[in-house]
Amino acid sequence: MQEAKETSVKISVEGLNAWFNTNQVLKDISMDIAEKRITAIIGPSGCGKSTFVRCLNRMHEVVPKARVTGRVLLDGEDIYSADVDPVDIRRRVGMVFQKPNPFPTMSVYDNVAAGLRLMGVRDRARLDRVVKKSLEMSALWDEVKGELNKSGASLSGGQQQRLCIARALAVEPEVILMDEPCSALDPIATAKIEDLIAELKKDYTVIIVTHNMQQAARVSDYTAFFFLGELIEYEATRELFESPADKRTEDYITGRFG
Amino acid sequence: MVRNRFQKEMEELRKDVRKMAEHAKNGVETSVLSLKNQDVEMAESIFAREDESDILNLGIDDRGMKLTALQQPVARDLRFISTMMKVSDNYERVCDLTVKIAEITLKTAKKPLLKPLVDIPRMAQTIIEMIDINTMAIEKWKVDEIGVLNEKDDLIDALYDQVYRELLTFMIKDPRTIDDATHLLFVARYLERIGDIVAKTGARIHYMITGERIWIK
Ligand SMILES: Nc1ncnc2c1ncn2[C@@H]1O[C@H](COP(=O)(O)OP(=O)(O)OP(=O)(O)O)[C@@H](O)[C@H]1O
Ligand SMILES: [Mg+2]
Repeated sequence: MQEAKETSVKISVEGLNAWFNTNQVLKDISMDIAEKRITAIIGPSGCGKSTFVRCLNRMHEVVPKARVTGRVLLDGEDIYSADVDPVDIRRRVGMVFQKPNPFPTMSVYDNVAAGLRLMGVRDRARLDRVVKKSLEMSALWDEVKGELNKSGASLSGGQQQRLCIARALAVEPEVILMDEPCSALDPIATAKIEDLIAELKKDYTVIIVTHNMQQAARVSDYTAFFFLGELIEYEATRELFESPADKRTEDYITGRFG
Repeated sequence: MVRNRFQKEMEELRKDVRKMAEHAKNGVETSVLSLKNQDVEMAESIFAREDESDILNLGIDDRGMKLTALQQPVARDLRFISTMMKVSDNYERVCDLTVKIAEITLKTAKKPLLKPLVDIPRMAQTIIEMIDINTMAIEKWKVDEIGVLNEKDDLIDALYDQVYRELLTFMIKDPRTIDDATHLLFVARYLERIGDIVAKTGARIHYMITGERIWIK
């Protein structure tokens, strides 16, 4: 049950625990995440979904007094071993947040280029190329190509979220973590992001946290159900939504609690 | 418990499907009894029942579609709602076949039956037991008895073969019996098909309860 079938494993989580101060919010999580597949994380509020994905790119430790034990293997290498640079991990494992958060003072172009510039890329032609490609991949290019200089903050919410996805894609990550990427969006904007997520799996491994069960069912290949900091069930999405093995999963997805 | 209204509506659905099961059972019982007793009035009561079950089945389908659209059920709720729609459809098909049996009663009531009916009522009785097994499984959400359906369906098949062979001897001995024998043969054939439908309904109920598909014949 704990391993992803049919494809190779991109991330292997082994005995992961996480704390905020003395409060343990993740308990002995082990799961394999399939490469170039979409894995959804669902569970009631406070069960540790955001904490879990933040452990996958070493964002959890950014919080004071937050602590992690266990191993997270990215292509077989533990991202928590001493010689690994967290900044490098965060480039390889990108993140898109719940609320679209473009850099407000920057133009559309600069928002997308920001990551590369931070990495020291100055070559204008290369930047142009990457900006265009990233905006195309995030399905925003056609809507903004004439006005790349306008402020990122002037876009609609759905466009801003796609801008953030373009920004994440620009640094060519291998994995993209999305924490409730559609919760601030209307159904049309949501549908566009969902289509985009489906496209992304051609090239990327995607992990998406969502409160919207239908969304998990629609977009993901695998679904993990978290409850009170534990991984309760992890299966092919259809299996989990059609015939879950655990009573708690069933009660949650059928709306009997949560 | 949240989603109380949803739970209530599913309960209504279950009650309606239980009524469909009663229609199917009574249809089988009454049609075969009307044939056996050559009772035309009893046979005619089947036609009215068919209309009722038709309407009930449409209602179940409509309700199931509505719940699916508005409540977006998953897991056991999804399996329950889709299975109720399927079970109802199957029992509606059973009712249709009992109408065909009643029609044969009307055709054969004018002269004495070719032979006293023994095996055909046994087929009917076995079907009734099978429908009860299905109903109990739904009510108790338990699959224990579903396995018995296979045996009962085998029994029905065996009875059908017996009836077939017996009627064949009549026809060979005396070709004037061909008309009457064919009528009875059709009845046995309908009952055999009803047995299949009811057994397959049981397999679907098994899936509803366990999430696992089983194969019945
Ligand atoms: N910065 C923090 N400091 C202390 N405790 C925190 C912090 N962030 C989260 N927690 C606690 O950790 C637990 C897990 O939180 P987390 O944000 O991972 O849950 P979640 O599943 O993402 O919830 P939601 O669905 O509401 O986003 C909760 O009990 C929460 O109160
Ligand atoms: Mg969260």
